[in-house]
Amino acid sequence: MKAIRFFRRQPLGALGGLVILALVLTAVFADSLATHDPIRTDAEHTLAHPTRAHWLGTDNLGRDIYSRIVYGARVSLMVGLGATLLGAALGAVIGLLSGYVGGWLDLFAQRLMEILQGLPLLILALVMAAALKPSIENVIIAISVPIIPMAERVMRGSVLAIREFTYIESARALGVGHLAIAFRHILPNAIGPFIVLTTAQFGSAILVEAALSFLGLGVPEPWPSWGRMLSISAAEFAQKAPWVVIFPGAAISLVVFASNLLGDALRDTLDPRLRRAQHL
Amino acid sequence: MGKRFHRLVLVALCTIPLASTLFAAQTPKSGGILNATLIESPPSFSLHEEATISTAWPMMSCYNNLVLFDPLKKQESLDTIIPELAEKWTLQDGGRSLVFFLRKDVKWHDGQPFTSKDVKHTFDTVREAPGITTKLRVNPRQLWYENVESIETPDALTVAFRLKRPQQSLLLMLAAGWSAIYPAHIPVSELRSKCVGTGPFKLKEYRQGELIEMVKNPDYFVKGRPYLDGIRYTIIKDRSTRYAALQAGRQDIPFIWEVARMPAEAAKRAVPKLNLIESSTNVNDHILVNLTKPMFKDPKMRLAITLAVDRQGYVQAGRQGAAILGGVLLPKPYGVWGLPEAEQKKIPGFGDPAKQKIEARKLLAELGYGPSKPLKITVSTRAIPIYVDIAGFIIDQFRQVGIEATLEQVETGVWHAKMTRREFDVAVNTTGIGPDDPDANLYENFKCNSPRNYSAYCSEEMDRLIEQQSQVLEREKRLRLVNEIDKRLQLEGARMLLGWSKEYVVLWPYVKNVVPHQSIYNYGRMQEVWLDK
Amino acid sequence: MLVYILQRLLTALVTLFGMSVLIFVLLRLVPGDIVDIIFASAGFVNPAAKVELARELGVDRPIAVQYIRWLKDVAKGDLGKSYRYDVPAWQIVKPRIPVTLELAVLAILIAVVSGVFTGVVSAARQDSALDYALRLLSLAGLSMPSFWLGMVIILFLVSWTGWIPALVYVSPREDLRAHLLQFIFPALAVGYRGSALIMRITRSSMLEVLREDYIRTARAKGQRERPVVFSHALRNAMLPVITVIGFEFAFMIGGLVVTETVFNVPGVARYLVDAILWRDYPVAQNLVMLIAVAVVLVNLMVDLLYGYLDPRIRYGSG
Repeated sequence: MKAIRFFRRQPLGALGGLVILALVLTAVFADSLATHDPIRTDAEHTLAHPTRAHWLGTDNLGRDIYSRIVYGARVSLMVGLGATLLGAALGAVIGLLSGYVGGWLDLFAQRLMEILQGLPLLILALVMAAALKPSIENVIIAISVPIIPMAERVMRGSVLAIREFTYIESARALGVGHLAIAFRHILPNAIGPFIVLTTAQFGSAILVEAALSFLGLGVPEPWPSWGRMLSISAAEFAQKAPWVVIFPGAAISLVVFASNLLGDALRDTLDPRLRRAQHL
Repeated sequence: MGKRFHRLVLVALCTIPLASTLFAAQTPKSGGILNATLIESPPSFSLHEEATISTAWPMMSCYNNLVLFDPLKKQESLDTIIPELAEKWTLQDGGRSLVFFLRKDVKWHDGQPFTSKDVKHTFDTVREAPGITTKLRVNPRQLWYENVESIETPDALTVAFRLKRPQQSLLLMLAAGWSAIYPAHIPVSELRSKCVGTGPFKLKEYRQGELIEMVKNPDYFVKGRPYLDGIRYTIIKDRSTRYAALQAGRQDIPFIWEVARMPAEAAKRAVPKLNLIESSTNVNDHILVNLTKPMFKDPKMRLAITLAVDRQGYVQAGRQGAAILGGVLLPKPYGVWGLPEAEQKKIPGFGDPAKQKIEARKLLAELGYGPSKPLKITVSTRAIPIYVDIAGFIIDQFRQVGIEATLEQVETGVWHAKMTRREFDVAVNTTGIGPDDPDANLYENFKCNSPRNYSAYCSEEMDRLIEQQSQVLEREKRLRLVNEIDKRLQLEGARMLLGWSKEYVVLWPYVKNVVPHQSIYNYGRMQEVWLDK
Repeated sequence: MLVYILQRLLTALVTLFGMSVLIFVLLRLVPGDIVDIIFASAGFVNPAAKVELARELGVDRPIAVQYIRWLKDVAKGDLGKSYRYDVPAWQIVKPRIPVTLELAVLAILIAVVSGVFTGVVSAARQDSALDYALRLLSLAGLSMPSFWLGMVIILFLVSWTGWIPALVYVSPREDLRAHLLQFIFPALAVGYRGSALIMRITRSSMLEVLREDYIRTARAKGQRERPVVFSHALRNAMLPVITVIGFEFAFMIGGLVVTETVFNVPGVARYLVDAILWRDYPVAQNLVMLIAVAVVLVNLMVDLLYGYLDPRIRYGSG
């Protein structure tokens, strides 16, 4: 029932949600949806126009762009989801501990978060990606790092908000363990903001992956990655074959747009007051 | 009779001004700044410590060699060597002494006189002669001078290279763009950020990442040269910007190692009066197999790997048509020493791609690999888009015979170190060789102790053969021997050649005497270049 | 107020210190021996020279020692020598700073002006077709990779007008028109995103304030008060916007990195990528620190400005 109400009140958000769903389905059913092997090169047909044979044309190695976009959905999903969940999970743990325990731990954790946040997203991810060998796992780790402080702040905020409530004190008086308190009282309060954060950061993670791949530090071959399809070398071929660059970029923009729509709608639904705090 | 005579005189008188305008067009004009292009800042200005064209191209204008390949002749060989700082030279002692007689009245850019001491200093440093105190930080071409026993300077204008045995190629290597003469009175460390040579141009300004500005050397020892007032090398990283600038006339000549057919042809189509010159570069792409790894020691494995790759496909997809198939040495008609085409076609990997893939699968099966147990390897390459693309193509080729390959992108900065330490399975690499010469090529890349022999190929017999061909002075005999070596190296999988890059130089017709050579490293002197504007 | 300022300053300093450690360590985690890299292109290295160079650069000492040495150098004003180009790092970085600075300022200007304007319009016409259109447009701005936007801009410009990106930095004194042309497109590409963010915040802040004030005044007075209410609302709404500019600055650096690459602008951000890729530690870490300092400074100024503007802090117990 809640879902239907959501759809009706937030049509744009619902649309965003559908696009994300389409992304997931594309990733799962890539084998059936693709028309060609995304890695297969074809020396005879490089930089071909979009035709019946190649719906979105081919790139400079003759690879089918449509199929690469379809399989690329897997990478985008994995990296987007992976980095966001990893960052959120780590941030949540730190935020929970830091807010609940307080004291020196809190002070230290706060400074650490400030440091992580002080560096621009891309720079931090860049340095991390350069420090680790290029691989999909390391890209996920690299992109998750800037997300940690954001998740931490949300979680800590939730913890601080209810820590002082009387029912918590009474629960403690009754001898309820800390862990139980965390799970039964704090976490449910934090779920709403977390969902909002995750949806917003999903799009951001995909954008950062695209930027890293553009600079040559993202997901390596042979995984087809939307970001890497937009590399500097692709830009060179774009003069002659603009579809090489236009379609992957459009795919990225569409997915991020959808996740932003969904994120906005969820935020409006779950907590109108959050509208002021979380504009990022 | 008189009338006819008068008519003849009239015709003659009329043709004189016509003839003189024709000849006038051929007389070089002095003046003007040439706008040349670079794709990146040179890592340093020190020619003897670098191996990249980004240093060679601009710095050649600053220095001189003992001898040089004629800038106006496209194909380089012993026949096209002309004097520079050496006026003449002779071979003595049955070919064991190469004696140069130097020009007098040559001055360094800082006014100091040039003498034989400078020549001795330069080559003793490069060959790391015993007792020499000057040390190069990196020394890519030490092996070129392995055969030099000592260098003597009987007087200020004579230098004698005493060799351990006759070596025809030494003269060729001295004619390469890399073999500049360094000043003995300036420490090498200072030559990294500035250049002090005897050459036609002096360094005026260097704006890191933006441009290198060279200005005419007024005291150049060749009177009337250089024609140009200066050269401005603008650094433009982005390829499409470079070609757009060329088309718009803001650049006069491009960077001479683009290996990009498409933008060159597009530029020519957009501005038909541009000249498009096709030439080779003496740079080749190849696959290296790490022979220190046990799995690659089996010749069947190496054979399977080379059979998997469709060479024509590499030319089309990997290089967009800008490559020629060939073996270890630059193939004819570009080079002088390459295998004849018929011979090269018989080398495994250069035949029918479909048949070869079937054979490759069979070989892998014999080695115990198949769909249930695929061969898994890493293909390493430099993290530069063109190499990533070529590697992507090769990985696909491997997949088609059942080899599962993943790409490892290595940054240029760490590439050579990684290769030297042999931390790879299969690598897609590119090597440029200064002069088209068997000694330069074979010594650097295939001798047992050579640091650039990344695949760790080592055969005593091959070393002996390489030494042997180096001593042969008779051309035909040497060519036969070199071809034999070429074939054997390929069959033994020392290096799996993919192709030799072709360059498409697009330049404005008013730029005269920029003649692309078969090798990119040797025609940057710019002494004869003039602008017909 | 004073306490507030001091608090913020102290926090800023601690943050900077922490960042310096982080950057230093991270960069050294990047694989690739620096000594190898200096000898990168030719592969034929004198082993003695390697050891010598390692000693000269100080990379053979433990990392803590290296860190302290770096701090000492920075305190002296010595920003180190570029490993790659063998010239002082500052020499390479200095000419690039004004370029990036100008691009950043232009982008922020574009972002603030267009963002605030569209935000106000959107708030005034809440839930109208115009509002929806503007919101979607700004959301699009947050969704597009800025370098892709740059690429598409260049594609259009080149195919429609034959324009090419500038080759060398053209200073405004040399040729104002060429200079503006060189900077306007990358500034637009970067500023679009910023304007989207600012638009959203302006809009929601305006709505919040309008709702309260509007209801109150609507009860007390009549419709004619609307313009006054409006400008009052605008002033109040600006507080969160100012905070966002701080965040946005940090985020924008990332956009600058890729946009400078696409548009061939010789700025500091693009050079940072090169420095990291080439393990040019002195240049890379100094650049990152520079950026970090800039970010912290901007945030500090934003905090101070906020403190000044927000009466609770200005006149409060601080």
